[in-house]
Amino acid sequence: MGSCDPVLLGCLLTVFLPLSAFALIMIFTWRYHKLSMAISLVASTIPLLIAWYFFFTLDVKQPIIYNFNWLVSDQVKVPFGFLLDPTSVLMFVIVATISWLVQIYSIGYMGGDPGFGRYYADLSLFALAMLGLVISSGLLQLYIFWELVGLASYLLIGFWYEKFSASEAGKKAFVVTRFGDIGFFMGLVFLTLYFGSLDIATVNSAALTAKMPPWLITTSALLIFCGIMGKSAQFPIHVWLPDAMEGPTPVSALLHSATMVAAGVFLLTRLFPLFAASATAMSVVLVISTITLLLSSTIGMVATDIKQVWAYSTVSQLGFMAMGLSAAGLAAGTLFPGYYHLTTHAAFKALLFLCSGVFIHHFGTNDFFVMATQGGRKLLIPMATITIAALALAGIFPFAGFFSKEAILGALAHLPNKMWLVLGLFGAFLTAYYAFRVIFVMLFPKEKYDKYHLETDPHAHAPAHSHGHGPGPGFTHDDAHIHPDAKPGHEHDESGHGAGHGHDEPHGVPWVMSFPLLVLAGFTLILGFCQGSLEKYLLGESAPHHIEYGLLVSAVSCAFGGIALAWFDWGRRGAKCVGFISYVPVLENFFIQKWYMDHFWRWFLNTFIYGIFSRAFTYNDRRVVDGGVDAVAFSTVGSGRLLSFIQTAFLQYNLLFMVLVLAGVGIYLLMGR
Amino acid sequence: MTEHPTSFPYLTCMLLSPVVGLTILLFLKEEWDFLIKAVSLVSAGLSLALAIFTFVAYDKTLGGLQFVEKYEWVKTFGITYFVGVEGLNAPLLLLTGIVIFTGVLTMWELKNRVKEYFIFMLALVTGVFGVFMTYDMFFFFLFYEIAVVPMYILILIWGSTRKEYAAMKLTLYLMAGSGLIIPGILLLYSTSGLFTFNMVLLHGVKFSPWIQKVAFVMMFFGFGVLAAVWPFHTWSPVGHVAAPTAVSMLHAGVLMKLGSFAILRVAMYLCPEGFVYWKQLMAFLATAGIVYGVFVGLAQTDLKYVIGYSSVSHMGIVCLGLATGTVDGLNGSLFQMFAHGIMTALFFSAVGYIYDRTHTRDIHELGGLSKIMPVASAFFITAALCGAGVPGMASFWAELLVFIAAVKVYPVQGLLAIAALVVGALFALRVVQTSFFNEPNPKFMHFEDVSPFLGLPRMILIGTLIFFGFFPQVMVSLIKTAVVPFIQGM
Repeated sequence: MGSCDPVLLGCLLTVFLPLSAFALIMIFTWRYHKLSMAISLVASTIPLLIAWYFFFTLDVKQPIIYNFNWLVSDQVKVPFGFLLDPTSVLMFVIVATISWLVQIYSIGYMGGDPGFGRYYADLSLFALAMLGLVISSGLLQLYIFWELVGLASYLLIGFWYEKFSASEAGKKAFVVTRFGDIGFFMGLVFLTLYFGSLDIATVNSAALTAKMPPWLITTSALLIFCGIMGKSAQFPIHVWLPDAMEGPTPVSALLHSATMVAAGVFLLTRLFPLFAASATAMSVVLVISTITLLLSSTIGMVATDIKQVWAYSTVSQLGFMAMGLSAAGLAAGTLFPGYYHLTTHAAFKALLFLCSGVFIHHFGTNDFFVMATQGGRKLLIPMATITIAALALAGIFPFAGFFSKEAILGALAHLPNKMWLVLGLFGAFLTAYYAFRVIFVMLFPKEKYDKYHLETDPHAHAPAHSHGHGPGPGFTHDDAHIHPDAKPGHEHDESGHGAGHGHDEPHGVPWVMSFPLLVLAGFTLILGFCQGSLEKYLLGESAPHHIEYGLLVSAVSCAFGGIALAWFDWGRRGAKCVGFISYVPVLENFFIQKWYMDHFWRWFLNTFIYGIFSRAFTYNDRRVVDGGVDAVAFSTVGSGRLLSFIQTAFLQYNLLFMVLVLAGVGIYLLMGR
Repeated sequence: MTEHPTSFPYLTCMLLSPVVGLTILLFLKEEWDFLIKAVSLVSAGLSLALAIFTFVAYDKTLGGLQFVEKYEWVKTFGITYFVGVEGLNAPLLLLTGIVIFTGVLTMWELKNRVKEYFIFMLALVTGVFGVFMTYDMFFFFLFYEIAVVPMYILILIWGSTRKEYAAMKLTLYLMAGSGLIIPGILLLYSTSGLFTFNMVLLHGVKFSPWIQKVAFVMMFFGFGVLAAVWPFHTWSPVGHVAAPTAVSMLHAGVLMKLGSFAILRVAMYLCPEGFVYWKQLMAFLATAGIVYGVFVGLAQTDLKYVIGYSSVSHMGIVCLGLATGTVDGLNGSLFQMFAHGIMTALFFSAVGYIYDRTHTRDIHELGGLSKIMPVASAFFITAALCGAGVPGMASFWAELLVFIAAVKVYPVQGLLAIAALVVGALFALRVVQTSFFNEPNPKFMHFEDVSPFLGLPRMILIGTLIFFGFFPQVMVSLIKTAVVPFIQGM
């Protein structure tokens, strides 16, 4: 471990370049847009090269570990280090690549925004935090970067901070994920206190060799899973992620679909031996992730905001990955299926968002029905690439999603209870349906669309022409949040594309925006065929593939079934353009209200946090504590005032009093004798 | 504790520099505005330079008490002028230096009674330096009172919002605290049989358990008033709100630390058995303060009240760390004193700039300030994020250490304190959102952003927070040199 070790140097550069870019832009150059962009691009290109260099040349079968002391108190020791093994290097490549592509894309997308410099600073902060997270060697260090990722997410969601909905969404994201992180932190505290080390390799090997007591494994795994639930938007604290779509679309592509939200699943793979050692923990993960999958797929069916559809799709796919990992944990499988789906998902979901970004940029609206009627399909490159991505999402051969979904379903099939497999297949069916609902609407626009958007909010599409300088008419602060029963997409349409994008002419598609689309489409096409080599890279050996034809057929038929239903409902000539779910209005309403989860949390916050605790404590502070003190003070003043009545300055009374007292004393003394 | 005498009286210089400054100010004309500020700045800067010097030059391998100066003062009563530096007070001396220096810079725009203002401020800071560096109980108490008295005048004359009430409340509260401290100190003094106020010598005496218990609880509550221990905290938000900017900075940043430092330095140091007896109560009150502070802060609409209650919560973390009585807990606690001091100073100096322009601190009336004054807002937002416990800032490490130590010793209280972090985040971000994000208030559109010169003190504070956030070991390794023997001696 010499000072000139190129691997160590690479790791250090990866962390410190984005850090210095962030600091430089924030302190000095944020007023100069081009310069800030250049700094940030340099600071993301070098990690990209390092990542791919590591991926192709570095032999990480034996993990490469560097550790330095960061903080040494007494029992608490926090090392700062890097851990390069297949798991981290693959994620490193994913993060560096998508981060770089998004930075390129943003040149076009964010061009002309007054906060351009700040935007690139925040992206650099994100790159620093995410790359640091991926290659951390210790859990506490991972937690630190995990929190920094949350900070970057907060800043980027609330990037257009003048918009109330955006600043509110940023706050919500931070607080909700913090809610999960508390569990994560407690888990780490338990591990530190009862196990003594937070080194990832040590923890994993201790779990493998049963050096840790089972109660500790279960407790800490469950607590750490709380953090995963927050970051990877699992039920019931997924509510922040759909709102996070208030951020610029490239940010949604980078943070809220491809990389940051996948950090939770990454942590699950990172600590896979620990989780796998506790069947209880894995069962909890399985149940929660299945609920997440179904919940978000059903909401995705009824959303009218294109970003909302993909957001719920992200939530459901994250649930799907967690299902794959937990099934593997329970049935003695490997982490490969879940991780593989993470990889492919990163490519096609980032692609979906970036394509949608082109449409949003072009038409100034988030509503895909409006995009369709205004001729969205004429934008050839994004239309072609979004279709590819949707095919991958639906799991159609030969796109990447097909292979990774097969792998996860294969893992689910190994569970003794086949219910999970059926639920997984049902999720795949719904996924194909909602993905192709969007695609068919875009591809085959009809004259007019159904009840639940165009007529419900007449001002929703105003920004298509006035280009969203701030909130639309009638948009008061309380509207968006206190009443979450706004239709999906309602609050997001209003200001469409945020401030600073006033253009009267529709944009063309500049090459900086189409280039990343093509690259990601390429990945979506080839990643499926890399399954074997990736498995070999991750696990050291490639398990022989038994092709289970029954499973294959059912999975493919589910996907095609979903697409066919979408075609029937939305695509074919003379389609009614109402989802099949509208035949069950109760359910449809339930889905439109997002399973009432926002209502629940709003109620929880208003009732318990603000209503009970905050009110009661404040009342106590004003009345009881302060009141008590003031009572003492005022009674002192009051008793002084009372005593002052004695000071009458009437000599005769004073003399009388004196004589009386003396007489009293004299009598007392006489009696005493 | 080994004592290493010094060849040059660094500490006395640090202490006297503000005194010399204020003596010069006495002879300056009121109209010589710039000169008055310059003299204050130089004397504060000199103290800061010496504080940095002692912080850096303290020999960690040697340990013990360094830069010691010791002169007999009143032999009959056993009063000695005894000052020194060790790991416990070096960070706090540095904190005081930074806060007074940036405080003077922050008040550069002051127009009203400039001369008197700086005289009182320098007098106050002399007292603070004295408390932190002295090892003689008599001087300790003397400096303690010197630090408290100018506060009354500063709030009364230069304050805002209900200033008479706040100043009176603060002074009465602190005097009531002193009323408990003096008997506590005298009890130890008279029962030791040594007739000395020298703390190091008194530490060697084994007081009988009941004396320790009585003296500890008296001093804990007496000093605890200043540390805003729940439920004796209500003077502090009111006082913060009323005080002028730099006084709020000193008050929340440094003065409250006098209380917690004194609990450690005098009460815990001299009455270890008393501490063991009362520590459950300490942990309970500390946790109550942590939880209570964030919830009450959540309902506040005045920026300074919000910060005031965040201070109550953060000082609760300090006390929780002390109550653990472990090396990690004490390390974290002292680190938190430092980090919280810098953080609140930043908070108040950011608010001060905004208040001087807008003349309101109501979070609903402000709004969209990021658009109007991006840099000034960035200062506040940084402080708020630090308060929310974002890593990369000094207070993150401090809280980390305290929480881990607390869960170990008091699992329930520790977990409650950790859970309060969620509300803490909500509470910080709520303020940021309402006053700095959203649409700007058109009334305030014409205000200018912070000039580079006025930005300087805030940048110093942010720089300090981030430096220790990245290199916590610089601080912890120094604190540890004193905490380890401290725990062993208990």
